[in-house]
Amino acid sequence: MAARSIRGPSPRSRMSALQQLNRTILLCRDYVAETLSDEEICRCFQSLQVLCVSDVSNMSSHSGQTALVTLVSLLSRMGMQVGIRVPDVPMLSPQPPLSGPSLSKALLASSETTVAGTTVCCDPDFKPDLIFVLGNMKIDSVHPASWRLTGSDWYGALAMKGIGHSQPWTAQWPVGSMVSAVLAANEAFKFVMRRLPLRNPGDQVFFEPSRSCNWNFDPVHLFEQGVDFGQVDVISGGAISQACLYALMRFPNIQMRGRVFDDDLTSASNLNRNMLTLATDVGSSKVQVIAQRSGPKLQLVPIGNRFSGQNLKLDRLAPRVLVGVDDIPSRWDVQRRAPGWIAVSGTSHFSVSSSAHSPGGPCCGCLHPVDDPAGANPIPTVSFVSFWAGLAMAVRLFREAVASPYSSGRQHLWLTPLRMDQPHAAMWLPVPRHRNCPVQCFASREL
Amino acid sequence: MSVIAEKKFAVEIVYNGVTKPIQVQPEEQVTALLHQAIAVFGITQNAHLLSLFRQDGTVVPENESIERAGLKPDEVLLLRPNAVKGGGELLRLSKHILRATFQTLRECGRGECECTVYWIGPAGKNLVDGFEHPLHKRSPFGYEVDDGWLTEFWKRLGASKRSIKVQVHTHPGEAFHSTTDDQWPIVSQAGFVSIVIPDFAEGEPSLHNAWVGRLQGDGKWQRVASVAQALVLA
Repeated sequence: MAARSIRGPSPRSRMSALQQLNRTILLCRDYVAETLSDEEICRCFQSLQVLCVSDVSNMSSHSGQTALVTLVSLLSRMGMQVGIRVPDVPMLSPQPPLSGPSLSKALLASSETTVAGTTVCCDPDFKPDLIFVLGNMKIDSVHPASWRLTGSDWYGALAMKGIGHSQPWTAQWPVGSMVSAVLAANEAFKFVMRRLPLRNPGDQVFFEPSRSCNWNFDPVHLFEQGVDFGQVDVISGGAISQACLYALMRFPNIQMRGRVFDDDLTSASNLNRNMLTLATDVGSSKVQVIAQRSGPKLQLVPIGNRFSGQNLKLDRLAPRVLVGVDDIPSRWDVQRRAPGWIAVSGTSHFSVSSSAHSPGGPCCGCLHPVDDPAGANPIPTVSFVSFWAGLAMAVRLFREAVASPYSSGRQHLWLTPLRMDQPHAAMWLPVPRHRNCPVQCFASREL
Repeated sequence: MSVIAEKKFAVEIVYNGVTKPIQVQPEEQVTALLHQAIAVFGITQNAHLLSLFRQDGTVVPENESIERAGLKPDEVLLLRPNAVKGGGELLRLSKHILRATFQTLRECGRGECECTVYWIGPAGKNLVDGFEHPLHKRSPFGYEVDDGWLTEFWKRLGASKRSIKVQVHTHPGEAFHSTTDDQWPIVSQAGFVSIVIPDFAEGEPSLHNAWVGRLQGDGKWQRVASVAQALVLA
């Protein structure tokens, strides 16, 4: 008890954390008892202690390092206290927004850089509430809440001790590792929710632990010579765009040039989910933050304006456009002006919607045919849900660039990550043409 | 000895990633299934925005029976928010109906009394292809539709498989939705559209100055930001 109270955040940092976690708290309010205060919910997240463990062999691959960095970031952005027990290995590839030549030092330096009072430490006395083991490292722990993260290029999995076959992290391609990290972050979130009283006891079903779960984005051929995505425009500098770019900048041997549009400044409440953003960025333009962190692989010109046709009077949108904007009429506007392919990702409470639209096919207006004015209110959201939306969009862009897009039956992904152990947690769907498509796309006019 | 065929079957409803089976009868309405699904998952927030989606991405029509909607045993249905339901689908309206509506409202109201018409179209379609001018009492301050006429009108709609899409009425001056308008719409279904035309419809035959609103799932009326969010003039 004493150790926890010493390690816990100070009252001042809890005040900041309340602002920084207010969207996460809002999401919890879908289910928690109304009598619970914001402070109590916040305290429950900030008191959770999560230990991440791995060894030299698993941390000597890009996928292993990406799994760890992504998991620590997703946990920190929920306000949790993170302990790491990993060897001091060199950073194999850049892992923005972390920096430095050493993996463990970079992670330790990330302490208190996102949500106030959220620490990353390597304290031998750290008393974890739950443990994540990365790869096939052997551990003797009999801790009741421990999971192992494994996977390959495109496949990520999570399993409690004794379930399934553990395999080492050896892949260079990092999609599976990011999948395993986001599966793990979800388990940590549910662990907190199980400690909170719910309005309806029957809702516990959504927060039960997954003994094992996995997700496969399905492999496509990886070209040794690398892939140039060409010109890609990014609409919005928010959480989904940042998650998508976070994932893309970890893909080996890729190149991309383009622009990122957003007129918004980073606020404290973005820290719970904007994967490229640090607390020191609050008040800075979102597009500047993105351009600064994107590095040489993703050369993005920051356009500090909200996207509208007027920005583009003298110019056209790029042949490929990533749309992470919540505003539905803006999506229609992009779709009307896009000369080529667009991908759209969004979130709704605990669910993710991700789709891709090629010329001639059902467009994003067919999928989202009506404006949702309620969407303008503060959006309840949490790190791992936004991350799924961005990761799915990054995978779609890669598949489009290598001419292996998903089939029309997989044009839309509806994914609710809470219970990925359940058979229908994620559903691939086609996009039907909509008679009243507001874009009046070619496909809808044929009806 | 008579044999009663068991017609009941189960469909699988997915919400927040969790699947639960629900027993249905072929003749049961899809709306009943939707309500049952909402109850089974204990959903209390924004339940009126939820719809059932098939795995082909289409919405299961709520105004049909389970059988007519083509639901099959063990079919997997996704219970998720429907933006269309939140915002209401766009109605397609022929321009000649708008002109004829104004003409009727003016002739009946003669610049001194309120008047009303109902825009109608095929049930299950977002199309307005006709209108009805009800038998009503009128005054500068309101109107009252005749009960007998209303009963007959309801029967006619049922027999011809048509429905009321929009209620349109006039006000003496400013267009707004009064407390009476809020409380006594002819249709009390979420998504129903009401239009109030100012100045006894004596102005230009357009909806630019009209109040256009939609009934929400919580029973409140919400004015739409522009006519284009409710209607498309064809």
